[in-house]
Amino acid sequence: MPNIICCFKWVVDEAYIKPSSSGKIDLEWAEYKLSDYDRNAIEEAVQLQEKYGGSVTAVTVASSDATKGIKDALSRGPEKAYFINDDQFENLEPSQTSAILAKVIGDQIDYDLIICGEGSSDMYSQQVGPRLAEKLGIPCIAFVNQLTIEDNRIIAERKTDDGLEVISAPLPALVTVLPDINSPRVPGLKDTLAASKKPVIEIDLEDLGSEYERLLIDEGLRAASMERNCSRFGAGPEDIKAFVEAVRKTGVIDRG
Amino acid sequence: MDFKLTEEQELIRDNMREFARTYVDPVAVEIDENSRYPEEVIKKLADGGWLGMPFPAEYGGAGVDYLTYAIAVEELSRSCAATGFTMSVHTGLACGPIALYGSDEQKKKYLTPMAKGEHLGAFALTEPGAGTDVGAATSTAVLDGDEYVLNGVKTFTSNGPVANTYVTFAWTDKNDKRNGMSAFIVSRETPGLSVGEHFMKMGIRASQTSEIIFKDCRIPKDNLLGKVGDGMKIAMACFDHGRIGIAAQAVGIAQAALDESISYSKQRVQFGKPISKNQAIQWMIADMYTDITAGRFLYYYAAYLKDQGLPFSKEASMAKVFCAEMCSKHASKAVQIHGGYGYCKGQKVERLMRDAKITEIYEGTSEAQRMVIAGNVLR
Amino acid sequence: MSGVWIYADKYEQGVELLTAGRGVADMLGMKLTALVSGDNNIAQDFIARGADEVLLLPPLTESQPVQDYVPLMADEARDADPDVFLIAASLKGKEMAARIAARLDTALCSECSAMNIDEKGKLQMERLMYGGAAIQTVSISSRPQMATIPPRSYEAAPVQSDRQGNIKTLESPEPSGMQVMERKGKAQASGDITAARIIVCAGRGIENQEDLAMVRELAEVLGGEVACTRPISEEKHWMTEESCIGLSAKEVKPALYLGIGVSGQIQHVVGIREAGIICAVNSDENAPIFESADYGITGDLYQIVPALIEEFKK
Repeated sequence: MPNIICCFKWVVDEAYIKPSSSGKIDLEWAEYKLSDYDRNAIEEAVQLQEKYGGSVTAVTVASSDATKGIKDALSRGPEKAYFINDDQFENLEPSQTSAILAKVIGDQIDYDLIICGEGSSDMYSQQVGPRLAEKLGIPCIAFVNQLTIEDNRIIAERKTDDGLEVISAPLPALVTVLPDINSPRVPGLKDTLAASKKPVIEIDLEDLGSEYERLLIDEGLRAASMERNCSRFGAGPEDIKAFVEAVRKTGVIDRG
Repeated sequence: MDFKLTEEQELIRDNMREFARTYVDPVAVEIDENSRYPEEVIKKLADGGWLGMPFPAEYGGAGVDYLTYAIAVEELSRSCAATGFTMSVHTGLACGPIALYGSDEQKKKYLTPMAKGEHLGAFALTEPGAGTDVGAATSTAVLDGDEYVLNGVKTFTSNGPVANTYVTFAWTDKNDKRNGMSAFIVSRETPGLSVGEHFMKMGIRASQTSEIIFKDCRIPKDNLLGKVGDGMKIAMACFDHGRIGIAAQAVGIAQAALDESISYSKQRVQFGKPISKNQAIQWMIADMYTDITAGRFLYYYAAYLKDQGLPFSKEASMAKVFCAEMCSKHASKAVQIHGGYGYCKGQKVERLMRDAKITEIYEGTSEAQRMVIAGNVLR
Repeated sequence: MSGVWIYADKYEQGVELLTAGRGVADMLGMKLTALVSGDNNIAQDFIARGADEVLLLPPLTESQPVQDYVPLMADEARDADPDVFLIAASLKGKEMAARIAARLDTALCSECSAMNIDEKGKLQMERLMYGGAAIQTVSISSRPQMATIPPRSYEAAPVQSDRQGNIKTLESPEPSGMQVMERKGKAQASGDITAARIIVCAGRGIENQEDLAMVRELAEVLGGEVACTRPISEEKHWMTEESCIGLSAKEVKPALYLGIGVSGQIQHVVGIREAGIICAVNSDENAPIFESADYGITGDLYQIVPALIEEFKK
């Protein structure tokens, strides 16, 4: 009966990110959402609980206005949440987030397995999971797309650049999961209503009792442009000829 | 004054959006084309607890306020107006009167499976000769021992062919035009109840509409809804809150028209620039956004009043007529923005324009709404 | 101590990092140290290609994952205290880098897309965020300054004949308790799209799985590889994820990219932004792919692709 922790992040919905006229990123009207890959992390935790029993606890580090994120996460199945929040917890970098998570999880939560998304959909640094495992001194298996528990060990299939590896590790352990591990459920109405009634343990910076210094310094942010000047062609025989001619002229084909 | 939804309301809205994107968008075109009842989607709505939103938990509902329910109708209608309407008819017009006027017994027996989404409900009021003029109905219910014997033909019954439970109306005293009509709950399997002609509609084609025929249909006396003679009162009360659902549906359709117009106008290039750079298009988009926001707050307000237990009949009518008319207008504008492409099958705005029109007609025409509003204002 | 360190779990990426690391080391006037797993010959090869020193990681047992090097590498780095530590952003590399950074209590710039050195000798690094919509510039206030470098960001460093360097063999790492039970190769036999010079990419506009044959034929005529967008691999399962281009899939840098029925979602376009020439065929003249393309054909791909095959054959 494993006790499972799933970590999640409340992030800016990238659909709302628009470059302003000055090439800066304007987040004034941005809405927030549960980071995409964390939906898979929560879903996997809940599916494992359905299979093996035990408990699922959701944990996040966020600024104090992320209360909707807590309800959102809880509506997806976990039975309680740790809401580590402080006004100073805006735009934390991965070394800070993982250190804060490690402090709370290490001191306060019984766990056998921690599940994180492979990365967050805003920063996509893919660091917090592996860093957290190191801080807690437990095995880490990243980029997992299949997960089972057997005899107090996890068996995980993880993606590598060469294919797949099946890894076994003793519990407690941490995994980061890929989006193809499952299809997150859409919370029903009653799930959302129940979420508001689930216990939420709030912890702020003062409770943590230490400072978490920023080591990755933000030196600027600008809109990315991928625009090119497209020469347009129709579908007629002459157009196709002209298109092929134009592509050939660039020299990219015959050189090889 | 607080114009902000609660976090819970926002999440419920977001979840319905996610639901609609996941389960409704993929079938919306096909069910429109084939006039198909999306049984699998309705089942998913039931599983998600979406079919009994504003009713108490003890009767299988979720116990949320009417505003939250209306917001869910808007979001569902944004993907498919027909599915949104199926939910709205079931909740507002079929479950609604049983929740309001039903006995504890009736709520247990009928409302509970409906609110759980196990049974779908329909509202059979309109007759061939009695539309807005409800009093022109000819259906009759005659008490015979412990049973009423129901005779009559109902038409344009939404959810008619697919419902398990009907709320219907018939004269128990034909001579009393004021208090002679009564309301009844009728089960689908009642002998003598049959589904007549199916109507092929211009829009909301996936919503199933038919005649419902009662021929010597014997229903238990216990299925009388409210008291003898409450029929007209119940019908009018149903319309009041049903109209909030239709206003929300209309806003959903209009929002979809805006969504489509924004994305198309930014991509469509004419004269060397996206058409969204033209003032003519910008003004249409600005008007759409303004009207949608105004309409949304009108129906929010009507729902808020209802949730507070305050009179909301006039406000529901205002929301209904405004939202319906702006919806039709802007769905048509959205087709205009799309030009020739918008007039062709395959563009969502083509469906939206067909779907929009009905919001001006059903659950009280725009003209009927104005009668209600004027009656309130001029008294 | 000062210096620049590099590590890649694969040889090809290792020699690319030699180019990156040598550049940084020269600008800072520092020594370049490469962490290499393998034997003396490989160590010599790394020295010939630009390393001043090689720390040779001893072989692992069959069931040990490469991540077992993490404690060893972190300990060595703690002792040597390099200024910069660059790691190849393979899947394993990204995980190992984050874990090493945690052990060293330092920051890490993930998937650094551009790197400069400012007047104070500090790295200014760029990376994408918000699904590719924005570019963030970061620096690191702690030591070492760590970054992961996406494969193919740099050319492989060439062999130079007269180079000398030290080789130090490290002790075998302790087994971690994690065991590799099985390794499976890639499902598909065809080539690696990240190495392809020419890529023909199948998108959602392809209606049937059989129609991929047409796309393959076009790729064959051009001497390229076939890739796909996420809907083709993830939703339809017509191709494997190994062929999928985009954010959280493969990023490619071909000389020529030709998208067939690719609409051009930002998450896909991010994966092709480094392509030399981008061409697109799509029936929707408003498809966003055209904004990111150099050459575009608007029309029915079922007519255009056969015509292109004929024309390119000439």
